[in-house]
Amino acid sequence: MVAEALKICIAYFIITYLDPYLVSWQCLNRPIVVAPLAGLVLGDFHTGIIMGAALESIFMGISAIGGAIPADATVASFIAVAFTVLTGATTEEGLTIAMPIGTVLASFSGMLTPIWAALAGYWERLALECKPKKFLTRNFMIAALTPLVNTTILFVAVAYGVEGLSSVLASMPAWVMSGLGAASSMMIAVGFAILTSMIWNGEVGVFFFVGYVMVAYMGMGTVPIAILGAAIAITMFMSDKKNADLKRSLSASAQVNDEEDFF
Amino acid sequence: MDKKVLAADEKSILKSMFIRSHLVFLNFNMAKMEANGFTATMTPAIENIYKDDEEGKKAAYLRHQNFFNTHAVAFSFIAGLAAAMEKEHKEKGTVDGQTIENIKAALMGPTAGMFDSLFFNCLRIIAAGIGIGLCSQGSFLGVLVFILLYGVTQSIAKYFLIQWGYIYGTSFIEMVFSTGLMTSLTKSASVLGLMMVGAMTASMVSVPLNLTLNVGETSVVVGDVLNSIFPGLLGVVLLFVLVHLIRKKGARPTQLIIGIFVFALLGALIHIF
Repeated sequence: MVAEALKICIAYFIITYLDPYLVSWQCLNRPIVVAPLAGLVLGDFHTGIIMGAALESIFMGISAIGGAIPADATVASFIAVAFTVLTGATTEEGLTIAMPIGTVLASFSGMLTPIWAALAGYWERLALECKPKKFLTRNFMIAALTPLVNTTILFVAVAYGVEGLSSVLASMPAWVMSGLGAASSMMIAVGFAILTSMIWNGEVGVFFFVGYVMVAYMGMGTVPIAILGAAIAITMFMSDKKNADLKRSLSASAQVNDEEDFF
Repeated sequence: MDKKVLAADEKSILKSMFIRSHLVFLNFNMAKMEANGFTATMTPAIENIYKDDEEGKKAAYLRHQNFFNTHAVAFSFIAGLAAAMEKEHKEKGTVDGQTIENIKAALMGPTAGMFDSLFFNCLRIIAAGIGIGLCSQGSFLGVLVFILLYGVTQSIAKYFLIQWGYIYGTSFIEMVFSTGLMTSLTKSASVLGLMMVGAMTASMVSVPLNLTLNVGETSVVVGDVLNSIFPGLLGVVLLFVLVHLIRKKGARPTQLIIGIFVFALLGALIHIF
């Protein structure tokens, strides 16, 4: 397991180091990218891809509200795939453990945030030296330290944890496993509730149900819904724009009239 | 809107700023958030504008080490705008340092809200939805589609926005704010985002109720009855209870996650799941 754990850790470190800098933040470190990568590293690409789809939907809405991220989707995805591939567990079992692990791990990285915040004064002094190259290289060096804690945890978990975890899960009574299974399928609702409450706008809230009906009753796929939604959104934007233009030209002409009356 | 024509050296500076603008989260921390990324992005402009003026350079670096936080794509626009203002500050003296800081600070909140609703809450959901569909059939294409739709488009948007920020400057901001287009853009993006979230709720959220009521001779599977009234009724109810808890009671996501665990385990213990 140690060799596999090393491979996983190298993949995790590279992805976490590069994620904010390549293409965009929270793109390369999402479960849909990370789980297939973990599968590829461990020699079971197919399982990785399938689990990537499921993990992405579990963690879709899990994002920070008010600073603290409730669950670490990246590490959880690596561990879930490693557990499934290395112990021969079913994908369902792998998915069941993902959210509890992610929640615990998020609190670990949260412990380090004060340390990074304490460096703010150091960065300011460094910037004032007016040596841009030095500023950049120091930044890259320190940035390489940030994923280290999670990398260590990931190594221990994959190297020594997965087998123990599988025997622990096997010794659990049946109701615990079905409870965990129910919890992970309801957990998707937490993510979507976070998303919904971020986007929610009383004026257009009903469109949630338009999308819902399109799938639940009409069985439509994601792409056609996105196209119809885009058409509605563009129409709405254009009519809002027309209204705003009208309002402006009205108030402009009203001002002109006022001036005429005055003279 | 005022429009400038870019000189060759301005073009190369903006290009190098575009590449550096990907460093937006460089050593992100809770004290100054994106300050390091902003300093790194402004470096080519500051070095070019102030050249041998050590004092001006120091003041500029200090300005851009201030607390800064917005969406990664809006970040590029504001960096382009800040570069244009720094140039005016040095060459014409019409903009003072405090104004640059004030405009940066004033733009953080509104641009973050607008770009979050466009990219994080709308485009990301669509990209992930399509990607999940492909990946669940075992196709690697899903991963590529996700990276292309969500990641690469943001890079392209950054490329144009850093130039627009520089060329149109504050007149662009005035145009967007004074016409109220910002709110309608956010609202339209919400429509698309909500439709996608609704669609994905229907296909992904479920409450695995495993409860059969025995009434006399007949037995009723409660889940089936509820689904025949409205497909996935319990899932929608659960979702909106959680939305209510977040919006009205200020529940934190971690509390909800732990709550669901306890609820599911208790439910399994009394055999309703």
